[in-house]
Amino acid sequence: MSVAPAAARHYSALALLRARIAGPGYWRPLWTGRKLQPAYDVVVVGAGGHGLATAFHLARDHGIRRVAVLEKRLVGYGNVGRNTTIVRSNYLLPENHYFYEDSLRRWETLSRDLNYNVMYSPRGVVDLALTDDAFPALARRGNAMRLAGIDAELLDLVALERFAPELEPRRKRRFPIVGALLQRRGGTVRHDAVAWGYARAASARGVDIIEDCEVTGVRTAANAATGVETTRGYVQAERIVFATAGHTGTVGTMLGTALPIETHLLQAMVSEPIKPLINSVIVYVSPGNGETYICQSDRGGLVMGGHLDGFPSYTREGQWHRLEDVVQGAVELFPRIGGVKILRQWAGTNDMTMDGSPIMDRLRYDNVFVNAGWCYGGFKAIPASGAAFATFVATGTAPDLIRAYRLSRFATGHMLDEPGQGPFPVRL
Amino acid sequence: MSAGPERHGTRLRPGPLSFIFDGRRYTGQAGDTAASALLASGVRLLGRSVKYRRARGLFSAGFEEPNALLTVGVRPSVIPNVPASQLVLSEGMVLRSQNRWPTLGFDLASLLQAGGGFFGAGFYYKTFIWPSWRTYEPLVRHLAGLGEAPRACQLPPVAIEHLHCDVLIAGAGPAGLAAARAAARAGARVVLCESEPACGGELEFEPGMIEGRSAAAWVAMTLAELATLGARVLVSTTVVTDDSGEFIAHAEPGGLPGRNTVYHIRPHAMVMAAGAIERPIVFCNNDRPGVMLLGAAERYLARYGAQVGQEAVLFANHDRVYAAAQRLLAGGLRVRAIVDTRAADAPGTDSEVQRLRESLVRSGVECLSAHAVIGAEGGRAVRAARIAPLAGAGARTGRRISCDTILVSGGWSPALNAGLHGSDARRFAPAVGAFVAGSQTDWRRYAGSANGHFDLAAVLQDGHGAGARAAAHAGARGSAGAHPQGSGDAPPRLAPFARSPATGPAEKRQFIDLQNDVTVADLRTALAEGFIDIEHVKRYTTLGIGTEQGRSSTVVGGAILAELKGETLAAVGTSRSRPPYHPVTMQSIAGFHVGAAVKVARRTPLHDWHATHGGMLEPMGLWMRPRYYLASGANPFDAAVAEARRVRAHGGIADGSTLGKLEIAGPDAAAFLDFLYLSKASTIRVGRSKYMVNLREDGCVLDDGLVLRLAHDRFIATTSSGHGTHMLAHFEYYRATDWAGHRVSVTDVTEAWAAIVVAGPHSRAALSQVLGAPWQGRLSQLAHMDFADGQFGGQDLRVLRASFSGELAVELHCRPAMAVPLWEALICAGLEPYGLEALDILRLEKGYLVSSELNGQTTPLDLGMESLVRQGNPCLGRELLDRPAFHEASRPRLVGLRAADGRAQFLAGAQLTTEAAPAQPCGYVTSSAYSPTLGEWLGLALVARDCVSERALLTARDPLRGSDTPVRVVSAVHFDPSSERMKT
Amino acid sequence: MTRIACPFCGPRELREFEFHKTLPTPGAQGAFARTYERVADPALSVEHWQHVAGCRAWLLVHRNPSTGVVFAVELAGEVMP
Repeated sequence: MSVAPAAARHYSALALLRARIAGPGYWRPLWTGRKLQPAYDVVVVGAGGHGLATAFHLARDHGIRRVAVLEKRLVGYGNVGRNTTIVRSNYLLPENHYFYEDSLRRWETLSRDLNYNVMYSPRGVVDLALTDDAFPALARRGNAMRLAGIDAELLDLVALERFAPELEPRRKRRFPIVGALLQRRGGTVRHDAVAWGYARAASARGVDIIEDCEVTGVRTAANAATGVETTRGYVQAERIVFATAGHTGTVGTMLGTALPIETHLLQAMVSEPIKPLINSVIVYVSPGNGETYICQSDRGGLVMGGHLDGFPSYTREGQWHRLEDVVQGAVELFPRIGGVKILRQWAGTNDMTMDGSPIMDRLRYDNVFVNAGWCYGGFKAIPASGAAFATFVATGTAPDLIRAYRLSRFATGHMLDEPGQGPFPVRL
Repeated sequence: MSAGPERHGTRLRPGPLSFIFDGRRYTGQAGDTAASALLASGVRLLGRSVKYRRARGLFSAGFEEPNALLTVGVRPSVIPNVPASQLVLSEGMVLRSQNRWPTLGFDLASLLQAGGGFFGAGFYYKTFIWPSWRTYEPLVRHLAGLGEAPRACQLPPVAIEHLHCDVLIAGAGPAGLAAARAAARAGARVVLCESEPACGGELEFEPGMIEGRSAAAWVAMTLAELATLGARVLVSTTVVTDDSGEFIAHAEPGGLPGRNTVYHIRPHAMVMAAGAIERPIVFCNNDRPGVMLLGAAERYLARYGAQVGQEAVLFANHDRVYAAAQRLLAGGLRVRAIVDTRAADAPGTDSEVQRLRESLVRSGVECLSAHAVIGAEGGRAVRAARIAPLAGAGARTGRRISCDTILVSGGWSPALNAGLHGSDARRFAPAVGAFVAGSQTDWRRYAGSANGHFDLAAVLQDGHGAGARAAAHAGARGSAGAHPQGSGDAPPRLAPFARSPATGPAEKRQFIDLQNDVTVADLRTALAEGFIDIEHVKRYTTLGIGTEQGRSSTVVGGAILAELKGETLAAVGTSRSRPPYHPVTMQSIAGFHVGAAVKVARRTPLHDWHATHGGMLEPMGLWMRPRYYLASGANPFDAAVAEARRVRAHGGIADGSTLGKLEIAGPDAAAFLDFLYLSKASTIRVGRSKYMVNLREDGCVLDDGLVLRLAHDRFIATTSSGHGTHMLAHFEYYRATDWAGHRVSVTDVTEAWAAIVVAGPHSRAALSQVLGAPWQGRLSQLAHMDFADGQFGGQDLRVLRASFSGELAVELHCRPAMAVPLWEALICAGLEPYGLEALDILRLEKGYLVSSELNGQTTPLDLGMESLVRQGNPCLGRELLDRPAFHEASRPRLVGLRAADGRAQFLAGAQLTTEAAPAQPCGYVTSSAYSPTLGEWLGLALVARDCVSERALLTARDPLRGSDTPVRVVSAVHFDPSSERMKT
Repeated sequence: MTRIACPFCGPRELREFEFHKTLPTPGAQGAFARTYERVADPALSVEHWQHVAGCRAWLLVHRNPSTGVVFAVELAGEVMP
């Protein structure tokens, strides 16, 4: 039985003033580290974006009172705090673009919904076309979006130059830019704030967030899971939700089910802060492993990412040669940043599925749910994922929005292979 | 400003040089850094902090500089955020301070901070929610961001040098030099990297004695010996990361990009001797210009003869402060007081230190024990230090000692991780007040202060031992000799002390991270809000995420967090630092791969011909291919239409050399290809070819091409241009796995054969003329899909009768050297070249497939290849093709499209809808082009099977380009459906 | 130090090789399992790699994906997946 936490403070400019007057002690912990209870209605494993959002919606939308989020290390210590902060819904396949559009709409109001400024910045996501061949593919995607009611614009060089003059689209390049697909509502969100905002909102609704509590096993009886073994003892659970990103494959192993998932490293890097230079998110994919997406954080750092490192790894140590690939792309796009310095490089462990789309389904038992396989797209999916998955877990029926993300799609052939890459996260 | 008297320092050379700072001209001396020259010119205010816009001056003499970051150069190509302490001046250099507007002296944004502390940790998360963040974001972005964004970059490409050695040593202080000497004497090949432009580390100013010589003489002698032993010493070079055992080092001479080098160093063993970084003690207003690290004052004096100020108060928690004070005093700094946090009667007080203290007192220096500097007074420069006893009366208010400089030293934190990956175990060393190396491996050792040694004798011995053991591990068999004996400053006998007492609002002015304006109050806020773990505190408060990655602040921050939490620093730890250890210029990381060289370009043997004959070359994958020829028309559309029309009417030639070509040979070759292709290769007769498709493991089409049977046991499989590399690996994979032990080989012969397509009704005549008599008979006997091997000009030539245009056509496969003569002969025979655009029109008219249709999402059933599937060849991917989803009515089907009115244009990428469901696409246009032959726009499309019927009316919806075009479903073969033209 | 010992070329650096896939459970039968299933063991990953920038041999590599340590390398064909 959990107890309502001390009344959380509402955040506003007025509250900041009050806090100045009241002095230290005005603010309350964002989430409470209440004691782990012996039993819960739902145990969510993993206090990343998806786990926290699911817990929040279970409590808020479905009135489930006894919810715990068990976290091996710290709230938001995994991919939610390691990504390049990009949000967008510019997907080709309807199953994906409707889902990500639902997410994007939630991003638009999330700061208000959580009473926490997650700094949604709709600065525009620009996918560059480097050959005349690539242009129809972008048009195909953009038109599909438009017919689904999602904003998209196809920019020729003139329009691109107007939108992002810093790109110098007409500059002579090894791979000349021929145009771009723009989603203006796409942009960035302050990643850590998302984890903290959800944790705070979930905690305020009575969710127990337990850090330093690793789940080591699932206890089962009569074809149902009964609870989880943890480093802090056994916890009984009516339903169990795994939202463990790069560790989902091992969850499968734990439950005796081989999943169509490989865990790969994806690195990101940031430059020293400079005054505003890049005012949108630029995505650049060139032949020969050249992929760079780049944006500039509000602090001024150029945030970049690219391809996976290319082999399964849990080390979170990015390879230098992939950093080289990404930076080469960045300097190719913006030769002027050659003199700017890279400050930090880091990596996350991505659960890559065999079609590049997520898995939101039961796993082996009727009361075990897995929310995983987010590949490159996990961060931007958080709000929609949390809401839809909570409905699934609470009602036992997957909402239409996520029905396509069932695990059986590989067996039936209903793969959601956005890039047409086939069952290999790393293409030969 | 006029030049002052000539200064003397280890890094100075005679001769003035002038430079400009914030529009004003100053004079420095050759060898000066921006920091030393500005110090010598009496400039204290060098920038403002990014958040509170507080006045800031120099804090350090190294890479750890958080405050004095300058923008260097003249617009548009400026270099931002260069630490003044690292920037070696050159004549005429132009420098600007950062984070100020309009001027450094008066910054408008600093007025925003009147609220003091309002913008503390977590501020942004709690407000700017209404109406939206986007409303406030532009202002925040402009206030943030440190240095100016460059508008251009004029840096040359950076060389990458690959080094192999036995022992790599990072750091050329006493430990590193001793290690390098030991390893080199033992016979190891040594590379020694030093971040600073000179070796010696602290020996540059610490007057120790080593092996009977002055420290400086010993450094010079050791370097000379290393040179004779063949060691490579790289100065201004920092080991920035460990990439799975390969170390990346970055050289940036002068502290400014321009002459950079990146080294990839592969040692057999590694010694980390990167020294330690002095940490401050935190007190109120400890960010004022004039508050500096003690060691910085010594460095500026010894290296550049520059005084950090006139009158100083020294504040420390260890014995080293006394020797330093004496040297500074001797150097001309008026030391008003030494404030030691330790009690006077602390046990173990060294008699040497005692004597030093007494002598300082005699020189007029007030030596206070169990006292602390609790605050600095002054705004844009320190005017006084406020001193208080740590216990008893007066502890709260203290007394004032006027001074313009407060030199602070809270001990030294070993530069352990040096940005290296991996979590080498660390352990907390109470005597150091910081973390030291917790474990050593045979191939990676730590030396010197990293092991907690701060006494010169111990440091030398430790370095020597590490070097000798590393050399032995690397296989060097010689003797390292005896370790160097030396003596220097007394051991620090440090008593950890992170911050002076303060309460309440005063904590808002106790700065921990100077660059990010993180104060003790911020840490308190973080804790109150539940951010308890150091990693959370880092993310929430931005502690240690600056350009120096909190080099001088993370240990102090950890210690203060421990104090606030009531825990030990050992338990709290410090946040994990990330590589690179020092910031690395992006141009350096990019190396040679900038501009045209960003990716290698593959050229066909005809590349130069195209380039010199108006061929508009554009990238296709890594290949360069002619899109059209200027002679055919001024723009791609007109040119392509003219070229396509010419091929149908007369003929033309195209460069097909980019096609992948794999030679499959061996007794099992036919069976192997049967496995890899949807239809059987084993049924192809020798001398014949066949159009075939490969399936991916999941049943989708991977690629298509022609398979030629050269002999019973020898085939050539062609692949599409973009897939060549992938298909090679794919073939090799199955040869090596499922087909291991079978007698079949795969050889990539793509570049062994050039390919020239000769197409059109007059192609045979032209070809006969070019190939001459021996070929004439054979050409006329070649049936469609036959090929013939022979000679042309004494070289191998293969003539393959196949057509991708629907015209009578052959592909000539010849040796690359023959490509240009053959091509030119064909031109002499009256054929003109056509490019990719025309090729696309021609294939589209015939409904042939390219990557737009073979996009990795389509199955052979989608593409109308049921008959091939029904043949039942149990090939790779066949089994998964039976999955139910691939047979549903919603699966696409390849069709042809024409505008309903026979005129309108519709473009590839348009979505197709039915009248019944105008918003729900049932397919999309994969390819489209204007057909000069048919005089209208043609398309290929993939449309859901349940929406396909002959003559069905659909709408090609292209909201992106603003058109809705009624289109009609037609056969995918728009032109010459019975293919009479190419078969006769 | 992460190097892969190519049976033909000797120890070479990681960047000369390209990873292809993690193998399914030993003995996995049928195209579906072979195509989609992956063993996820943080202590041992059995993978196919190719020495693309060397002899182009296909290799069966046993690695610890949590540390990067390579346990064993053999030619892919010698042990059937």
